[in-house]
Amino acid sequence: MRIKVERRLETPKFIYILIPLASIIASLIFVGILLFLIGVNPIDAYSTMIYRAFGTKFGVTELFVKTAPIILTGLAVSIPLRAGLWNIGAEGQLYMGAFAASFIALYLSPPPVVLPFMVIMAVLAGMMWASIPGVLKAKFELNEIISTLLLNYVAIYWVEYLVYGPMKGKEVYNFPYSDLFSDYAILPRFFGTRFHAGVIVAFILAIAIYILITRTSYGFAVKIVGANPKAAEYAGISRKKIIISTMILGGAIAGFAGMMEVSGLHMRLRAAVSPGYGYTGIPVALLARGNPLFVVMAAFLFGLLYVGGSAMQTTYGIPVAVVDVFQALVVLFIIGGDFFTRYRISFVFREASA
Amino acid sequence: MSLLLWQGGKGCNFYKLVEHYQGIEINMGNRKTKTERGWALQGENSDIILEMKNITKVFPGVVANDRVNLEVRRGEIHGLLGENGAGKTTLMSILYGLYRPDEGEIIFDGEKRVFSSPKDAIESGIGMVHQHFMLVNKMSALNNILLGYKTPGDPLLDYEWAREKIRSIIEVYGIDAELDERVINMSVGEEQRVEILKSLFRDVKLLILDEPTSVLTPIESERLFQALKRMSEKGLTVLFITHKLREALEVTDRITVLRKGRNVGTLITKRTDEKELARLMVGREIDMKIEKKGVEAGKDVLKLENVYARNDRGLMALKGINLSVREGEILGIAGVSGNGQKELEEVIIGLRPVEKGKILFNGEDITFSSVRKRTRLGISCIPENRIETGLAPSLTIEENLILRDYESFSRNGFMEFDMIEAHAEKLVEEYGIKTPSTKAPARTLSGGNIQRLIIARELSRNPLFLIASQPTRGLDIAGIDYVRRKLISLAEEGKAILLISEDLEEIVQISDRIAVIFEGEIRGIFDRENVDIDRVGLLMSGGADN
Repeated sequence: MRIKVERRLETPKFIYILIPLASIIASLIFVGILLFLIGVNPIDAYSTMIYRAFGTKFGVTELFVKTAPIILTGLAVSIPLRAGLWNIGAEGQLYMGAFAASFIALYLSPPPVVLPFMVIMAVLAGMMWASIPGVLKAKFELNEIISTLLLNYVAIYWVEYLVYGPMKGKEVYNFPYSDLFSDYAILPRFFGTRFHAGVIVAFILAIAIYILITRTSYGFAVKIVGANPKAAEYAGISRKKIIISTMILGGAIAGFAGMMEVSGLHMRLRAAVSPGYGYTGIPVALLARGNPLFVVMAAFLFGLLYVGGSAMQTTYGIPVAVVDVFQALVVLFIIGGDFFTRYRISFVFREASA
Repeated sequence: MSLLLWQGGKGCNFYKLVEHYQGIEINMGNRKTKTERGWALQGENSDIILEMKNITKVFPGVVANDRVNLEVRRGEIHGLLGENGAGKTTLMSILYGLYRPDEGEIIFDGEKRVFSSPKDAIESGIGMVHQHFMLVNKMSALNNILLGYKTPGDPLLDYEWAREKIRSIIEVYGIDAELDERVINMSVGEEQRVEILKSLFRDVKLLILDEPTSVLTPIESERLFQALKRMSEKGLTVLFITHKLREALEVTDRITVLRKGRNVGTLITKRTDEKELARLMVGREIDMKIEKKGVEAGKDVLKLENVYARNDRGLMALKGINLSVREGEILGIAGVSGNGQKELEEVIIGLRPVEKGKILFNGEDITFSSVRKRTRLGISCIPENRIETGLAPSLTIEENLILRDYESFSRNGFMEFDMIEAHAEKLVEEYGIKTPSTKAPARTLSGGNIQRLIIARELSRNPLFLIASQPTRGLDIAGIDYVRRKLISLAEEGKAILLISEDLEEIVQISDRIAVIFEGEIRGIFDRENVDIDRVGLLMSGGADN
């Protein structure tokens, strides 16, 4: 028997669905092995996860609360990805949004308009943060993967510096927190749970972005740049404008996610605003192949992992880091699975007769 | 008439039944016998170096090679002729170890071989010069030749030994190259010679050349043919892949014609002619004559005044171009590629900034206008690099058909999908683009259909001016014919056309005026009536006009 690897002339559609599904399943199996090795029955662990997320009202609303920021960061990665850019910086953009929103909430705005003002400033902060790698890429071809990634650290440490120093609250007993926001600066909540208005906005944004990138001429231009930048230039589309605008759009959404987290959940600025939602956006965007509606679906999967991950921590003492392991595996499997979109593998059981 | 042919080889003999009819040998099959060295009709040098038997290769949905037999004699120049998609490249990729055949066997130099990589093929003595050269641009010719080769004293490189060996090859075959020059600074012809040297350096017995003249001037081609003949005199075997009949007739000893993945005949070059080859290649009689009627050229549509522009490396690639293209005429730019044609194309459509000088379109200065503005003014373009520039291969045919005008297919910023679909249906029909669906990705189209798609898009915009760069490169005879007729009919409608082509024959055939470009300068402009091909050829290679 030998294994035959051949280039595909055409990629069947089902492959594009099969690869993400297979990646998820393979990752679940690998994490299961990992759990088994540290002495936890993976089936118990997974069923605990599912039960925690779906079994109670608290679990379901918590699932939405955790899914919403992932939808947003997934979109923040997806939009530039459609133009062929890797925005690894959603985390930093989120932190800058959180910072800007907190700054307004704590020091500036008069009460009645504080929420919209927080949104505007958070979005602007995210845009500004994303525009740096965008402009550097457009003008100097600086690799956006590196610049967005490095700017994350700048943003995260900037927020840390603030909450340990200038913005540290007066009543927080040396915790790295700012003071609580006033009630005006907090997003309304529903059902007596943490389900806040930002969750709804996240879903609306996903639909809006879906329409923007699939129905409008701007979306079409982005698609052409992503498919073939040279053909885009030849078609009269400015690649530079698309690079900068998609990065800025991604940054705006991630910035809003930052505002949503501080205003909807934490009600203050703190050191760990996000448990890595910005990075989670990457596998989400990959699973969704840049399609905003699929981003919502993939975000739910990771939301479930976050909810379940904290459940596993409390029940079995497994570190939440297992969620990161899962994320990393999904990314690896999807990138590896790309091979199957281009090649076909068949098993030949007998040598072709000569 | 049929006759029995005995052929002897070292260590293994073949009994062959050969149908001989009007110079066509049809291979009926091979059987091994225990006969001793046979009585060879063709003389001593006719032993067989390569035999490919019953080679079948199936790609999903396509039979690229269907039970192909190929037999190459030692020391001959064997032509492999066929249209695009006839299976020439697949067959050679199998021989060179890039693909494994589904069926069939290869006997090379008397032994049955299975090549699973080019490395195997090279080690057995098969060298290949690809159509697109596989050289490392930033390295010198010498280092390119040595790349991957173990000189005596490995792991240390013995440059002196290598130089000596290359020098002796150069002496024997007359293929010269500047060994210390970096490939990036070389002309295409020179790069090709480096590729050939690379193979010869590895002591190949069989050299495969894939469409070697497609990038050469007539003079360089002639030089290559001379070298090939010398190689064959020294006992080297050459497999020459081409789709140009004239070349095949000029340089080969025998020709195998492939059509639709099958061997439709092996002919002795001396006993055949262009007409027979064309019939075998295409499968029907074709009329290859197209003539453009002379027209009264109107006013200048596009005018370049003393245009300078730099290439990607920052060197001046256009040095004071003065040109004008008039209504109803085709202006042909003859020249070897790499002499500023690409930059000329890009400067006109607005992709490359002009360093100095002026571009006028219907009297309006467009020197600094955007691509979009120029497109709207009525400039269309069939780009040289169709797949890299002209197309987004992963997008659908529909989307590619509106690539350059997508904004006119939208209302208030929203795409009008019904309009796009109707537009695509109409063009697919009108331009005969063969595809199961307008929603299939453009990369599923064949080369000829890709060109039709681009032509459909560019002509349906109803342009005033069209720049067609290498519009027939890589197309089959039917495709070439289609494109040339389209260009002529467009000019007859009064449109201005700038035709950039390396195919001198094409330029002479359909242009009203011919401009020769060399090293970024227009070296001469001729009217078709009084064009002297020898002089054009001379100017193309930098000869002085006197």
